[in-house]
Amino acid sequence: MKKFLVLVAVALAMFFSTVSWAYAAETAKVRVVHASPDAPAVDVYVNGELTLENVAFKANSGYLDVPAGTHDVEVFANGSEYAEGEGVLQADLAVEAGKAYTAAAANTVDALEFVVAEDSMEVTEGKAKVRIGHLSPDAPAVDVGLIGGDALFSGAEFPGITDYSEVDAGTYDLEIRLPDGTQVLPLEGTELAAGTVYSIFAVNTADALEVLALVDYEQAGSPDGMPTTGLGTPDNKQSSWLLVMGGFILMVGASGFVWKKRVQN
Amino acid sequence: MGRAVLSGKNAFKIKQLLFLSLVFLIGCQSEKDEVSIRSENIDFSSKQSVAVTLSHHSVGENPINAVRQSGIAPEKIFIPAIGVEAAIQHLGKTKDGTMAVPDNIQEVSWFEPGYRPGQNGRAVIAGHVDGLDGPAIFWDLTQLEKGDKVIVEGEGKKLSFQVYAMESVPLEKADVSAVFSYTSSPELVLITCSGAYSRTLGTREERLIVYASYIDE
Repeated sequence: MKKFLVLVAVALAMFFSTVSWAYAAETAKVRVVHASPDAPAVDVYVNGELTLENVAFKANSGYLDVPAGTHDVEVFANGSEYAEGEGVLQADLAVEAGKAYTAAAANTVDALEFVVAEDSMEVTEGKAKVRIGHLSPDAPAVDVGLIGGDALFSGAEFPGITDYSEVDAGTYDLEIRLPDGTQVLPLEGTELAAGTVYSIFAVNTADALEVLALVDYEQAGSPDGMPTTGLGTPDNKQSSWLLVMGGFILMVGASGFVWKKRVQN
Repeated sequence: MGRAVLSGKNAFKIKQLLFLSLVFLIGCQSEKDEVSIRSENIDFSSKQSVAVTLSHHSVGENPINAVRQSGIAPEKIFIPAIGVEAAIQHLGKTKDGTMAVPDNIQEVSWFEPGYRPGQNGRAVIAGHVDGLDGPAIFWDLTQLEKGDKVIVEGEGKKLSFQVYAMESVPLEKADVSAVFSYTSSPELVLITCSGAYSRTLGTREERLIVYASYIDE
């Protein structure tokens, strides 16, 4: 129950330390999701600092860069005053450098719990990657699959986040259904884009089940080195220009000297 | 008589001349110049307000299809605070694998294989700080301050970004993959050269990196 807030706090910590993004840094990425249908909006304190404010049901923080290590995370109802150790939830959250995490606050408010999963930041070119999170406290185990076809995920249970499944990019007529085939929620025309990693979370109570979709990663190219953006480009001649100037001054001086000499002579 | 000129007034002038020449000749070896001085102590980063977002999709729309943002292929960049207005070339990598830049000093380049401006992730635009004859398009990049706007235009749309951090990073310490990395919201990164010129490297020793976050206007 107390762990949910912990992850949130991690994200905040990063923002309070001056993190330099371009230096190879020992940071992790953390994303916090409020998935407790009856819990109020919350404020999250990381290591005593207000990091996330007014996080409401179905809201997510996006990835926050936080230093690798263990962080003290405390959660308070939105607007309440911070007092160390008096949050509704407290946790020590440990994150590893170079990894990404989703921390979802799940279950009902009286049984709040933290569901944490490590997120994927890679995908085979041309493929899409998907996983399912069952975060609806009173919904039974479900399958997710093609309408009238095979299941992509079977027996997803609350509270849990499945492993990823890599599929060809394309448009799929999906549905969330009970293992006996009864449809719970249609997801027709789901476009799964190439080079994209998705988390599809089923949230809210069973009678109001809905999907919270998040993108974990999108693939794109990166160069091997920084651009060369100054002296030396486009022509590597700024220094030779200075040499020429120096030489020119010498010449002018010399010729002046010669000229004077002649006059004097 | 001719030798006599070496002393007195003329001798002074010759010395002056030699000195000036030396200054210029040595100057080209010197590590410090206006660019390096201007890029000293410019790092800043602001505590970003963390955008806590609710998924937004219209009723009936498949929520999974609403989470991706396609962004734009950028054509022009505007930075009103420093009077920059430039065409954007679409370039990739050079032969040695580094990010390619325009062969002129008036235009900038967008790293086309990377993220598109407006798409989640860091879209990267680079421009020269100087050329042979003086300042280039990103000469004044060091003057940017937190909150300054950067506008990118393309495909009939204008996207606004707001500067939130700046740093000048030694080349050997720069984490290229982080600068070009995925982020959960659209960001724009501007790069130019900074620091002292290194004859060994054939380029300046540092890179100025400006980070801006997307503002929905």
